[in-house]
Amino acid sequence: MTKRENGYGFVMPALVLLSFVTVYPIFYVFYLSLHRKLLIFDISKYVGLDNYLFLLQDDRFWNAMKNTVYFTAVSVSLELLIGLSLAILLHRSFRFKGLVRAIVLIPWAIPTVVSARMWEWMYNTDFGILNYMLGAKINWLGDTFWAIHAAILMDVWKTTPFVVILLIAGLKVIPQELYQAAKIDGAGNWAIFRRITFPLLRPVILIVLIFRTLDAFRVFDAVYVLTGGGPANTTETLSIYAYKVLFQTLQFGYGSTLSVTVFLFIGCISIFYIKILSKEMR
Amino acid sequence: MKRGVFYFSIVLMVLYCSGPFLWQFITSLKPDYELTMIPPVISKNPTAIHYVSIFREHPFLRIILNSAIVASSTTILSLIIGSSCAFGLAKLRVKYKSFILGFILSVSMFPPIATVSPLYIIIRALGIRDTWLALVITYTTFSLPLSIWILTNFFKEIPDEIYLAARVDGCTPYQIFYKIMLPLSLPGIFTTAILVFIFSWNEFLFALTFTSTPASRTIPVAIALFPGLHEVPWGDIAAASVVVTIPLIFIVFAFQRRIVEGLTSGAIKG
Amino acid sequence: MLNGATGIKALLLLFCYLIIGCTPSNKDNSAFTVIVFKHGKIAGDPEHFKNVLKRFEEENPGIIIKDEILPASTDEQHQFYVINLEGKSSDFDVMSMDVIWVPEFARAGWLRDVSHLFSKGERSEFFPGPMKAVTYHNKIYAIPWYIDAGLLYYRKDLLQKYGLSPPKTWQELIRTAQYIMPKEPGLYGFIWQGKQYEGLVCNVLEYFWSNGGGILEDTKVVIDSDENIYSLRFMRNMIIKFRVTPYLVTTAIEESTRHIFGNGKALFMRNWPYAWNIFEKEGSPVKGKVGVTLLPSFLEGMSASTLGGWQLGINVYSKHPEAAEKLIKFLTSPEAQKTLALTVGYKPTRKSLYKDKDLLREQPFIASLYEVFMKAKPRPVSPYYMMITQVMQPEFSAALSGIKTPEEALRSARKQIEHIMKGKND
Repeated sequence: MTKRENGYGFVMPALVLLSFVTVYPIFYVFYLSLHRKLLIFDISKYVGLDNYLFLLQDDRFWNAMKNTVYFTAVSVSLELLIGLSLAILLHRSFRFKGLVRAIVLIPWAIPTVVSARMWEWMYNTDFGILNYMLGAKINWLGDTFWAIHAAILMDVWKTTPFVVILLIAGLKVIPQELYQAAKIDGAGNWAIFRRITFPLLRPVILIVLIFRTLDAFRVFDAVYVLTGGGPANTTETLSIYAYKVLFQTLQFGYGSTLSVTVFLFIGCISIFYIKILSKEMR
Repeated sequence: MKRGVFYFSIVLMVLYCSGPFLWQFITSLKPDYELTMIPPVISKNPTAIHYVSIFREHPFLRIILNSAIVASSTTILSLIIGSSCAFGLAKLRVKYKSFILGFILSVSMFPPIATVSPLYIIIRALGIRDTWLALVITYTTFSLPLSIWILTNFFKEIPDEIYLAARVDGCTPYQIFYKIMLPLSLPGIFTTAILVFIFSWNEFLFALTFTSTPASRTIPVAIALFPGLHEVPWGDIAAASVVVTIPLIFIVFAFQRRIVEGLTSGAIKG
Repeated sequence: MLNGATGIKALLLLFCYLIIGCTPSNKDNSAFTVIVFKHGKIAGDPEHFKNVLKRFEEENPGIIIKDEILPASTDEQHQFYVINLEGKSSDFDVMSMDVIWVPEFARAGWLRDVSHLFSKGERSEFFPGPMKAVTYHNKIYAIPWYIDAGLLYYRKDLLQKYGLSPPKTWQELIRTAQYIMPKEPGLYGFIWQGKQYEGLVCNVLEYFWSNGGGILEDTKVVIDSDENIYSLRFMRNMIIKFRVTPYLVTTAIEESTRHIFGNGKALFMRNWPYAWNIFEKEGSPVKGKVGVTLLPSFLEGMSASTLGGWQLGINVYSKHPEAAEKLIKFLTSPEAQKTLALTVGYKPTRKSLYKDKDLLREQPFIASLYEVFMKAKPRPVSPYYMMITQVMQPEFSAALSGIKTPEEALRSARKQIEHIMKGKND
């Protein structure tokens, strides 16, 4: 068994590009997070871990963390469930399959800013189509309970195609022979799913979970346009809070601290996913 | 019966996905005074004025061109760099693979609002403010983690024996990559291409910060410029979203039929 | 061994293409001075504004104006300026600023001092509110360009029908609304902007001020005064107790309330002057039925209106400050302000124009707003304001949604604002 050829030549372009573009910003953010930097007052002072200590007792941070975790957990679970069902449905052959698959991509294809305004319009209490169809007068975006669920529903609608398209690709590489053999053995649909489909889909599900969680945890545009973080900060996610701290109050130090915290949190979740779901990551 | 349930589910899914979009389409045909009427149904006096307006009042054609060029360039670049990296990680000898994959992933873990400021400084320092290049570099970078992770997974699915057999036949790793691996992982490539393309098509924050004139402005920023301080031209926005989404659908549809349908898992064995 | 050499060659080619093909097309003609003017989208037909700029270029040969628009959203504009000014960018010279940013940018040292552009006595030619907003430590950092202030819109046809007159106090407004609402099914009594955003603060301050309360007194934080608690509770009661305001107000912004009122579904509305033109357009269900007046107050004669509007300032890093000064002087001159008033409906910041015959004839509505604009009060003119408003918005929203009582909300706000003002806000 000869030694495998080395692949550095293949890997280098990506690493070079990534390092060149992101090393400075990432270090800059880490660096700033250890400073007290108030642009307006021209204060830029190294304060070590003070920002992080402040963060630990910052109620608004914990509120944002709570909102973000809830948003992410519910969104991603729903997206995975719905996405998996849709992918399995679309995996079968039927007429117009191509067209349906293209249509399924529509929510993902619409620009986020348009999507959010669209949903804002649909959620309108007086002339929104949602209330019209339900015959109700729910204050979707202004009620402290409904607002975050309205945001979740919009996000699930928008990003489920991402899950679907990845899972379809994953389903495609599962050899048909396995299914045929199982059918011959008389296995039922559920057993086929549990024993064949799901295990072989695990790597793709892992990718879906990681990237969807990553995105949901960092969600900004969609929710900001929809609710601005309100009412009463019930939809203020970590990114929205960080945005306000950075660009509204110009506290570049603390804003960076918040960003680093998001980064660390996502990092832990990713490691957790990888450990639980991946069989071997060489 | 089962077929009935199946088709019913398909119809439900189509409605679920396209419902709001269809509603946008209906809205785009309504004259202004009908936009907030109840019940919000199909207009009695449909008008194409919004479609005319978006091209007349904004250099929308140039904007679409910008988006198309930026998105295509990003997709091509991301695929080339990403698949090459994924092949190296999946099939060749590379030290610290997990670490590299972790580093690549970590690029995507920062909230974009944190990185937009320092990135903008880089862009300005390089003198490429308000150019396609600025966006292409940025988008390629931020789409690489997804590309690499997806493609690494797909390359891994291809049995090692194929690689070894090809080496025995005297192929260089590059030839194997180009002639064998790529064709075999087309579902992954195609999927990645769609996702990266749509990501660049719709990205807003960096586009807003790095562009300042129609020279490089992309679609999401242009649409964000539709509203005035208080007035929100729903009709125009709806028309714009129809205009920019339908081509995407066609592209996806066209690509699908040519590439994906032709693939069978038998190719893996052969 | 570097494999994939062909691939790398292709990459390099691609990069070359991108670099060559995409250099910005700015051809800086060194014979001219190019001034970049950044602003949010101008209302109405862009041709009008282009003509104004052309006139400037004709009167000032050698200067070319490049105007670049930003999204109308004030947050996005603020974000743009912050990113650029923090990076000491010289990419733009003149900027259009929301009234609340001026002290912040001035304190940060991002604005050029333009006090010398005002001739003696010229300051008093502008409304007092905007002048206060652009003055920081006795220096002027921007010239007020156009002005905005909160108004009370009412359905004069309905008031006439029931023989009532526009209310002068908030209590009177409630009584009027409660009287008419049962007789006109499907009509909301009073709508205003209550979403958690800057507009909410504008609304709330109008109640605070009309009750004699405020946010800051010099550097003392008085946001949780008894008068303010009363005012905030009053606003919440409009929803739950007096029931003249629908619950949906907690997500309402200018446009949503404008639509409701414009469809004839509300009796009273608080909004900015822009809505008037829309109501008077052909085909508007409320054409000819709308009246405007000063906002009501709690205490007699204390009607207050929050100041809005935009100001022109000069980037301190600009490479052409003198030319930039010429531009902002021009755009805020009586002629230019009059032109903009007549063409795009921008309300002038110069008092004299409100007696101008042409304006009175063509835009009688604008002329009638003189009293409102005289009474328009700026939000606290302090470099801390952006931080203060980020504290106030969620607290006000919490009080309106009932999550917190007005006392809790305002006391919490006071604590946080005091913390900010002490400078210990990181």
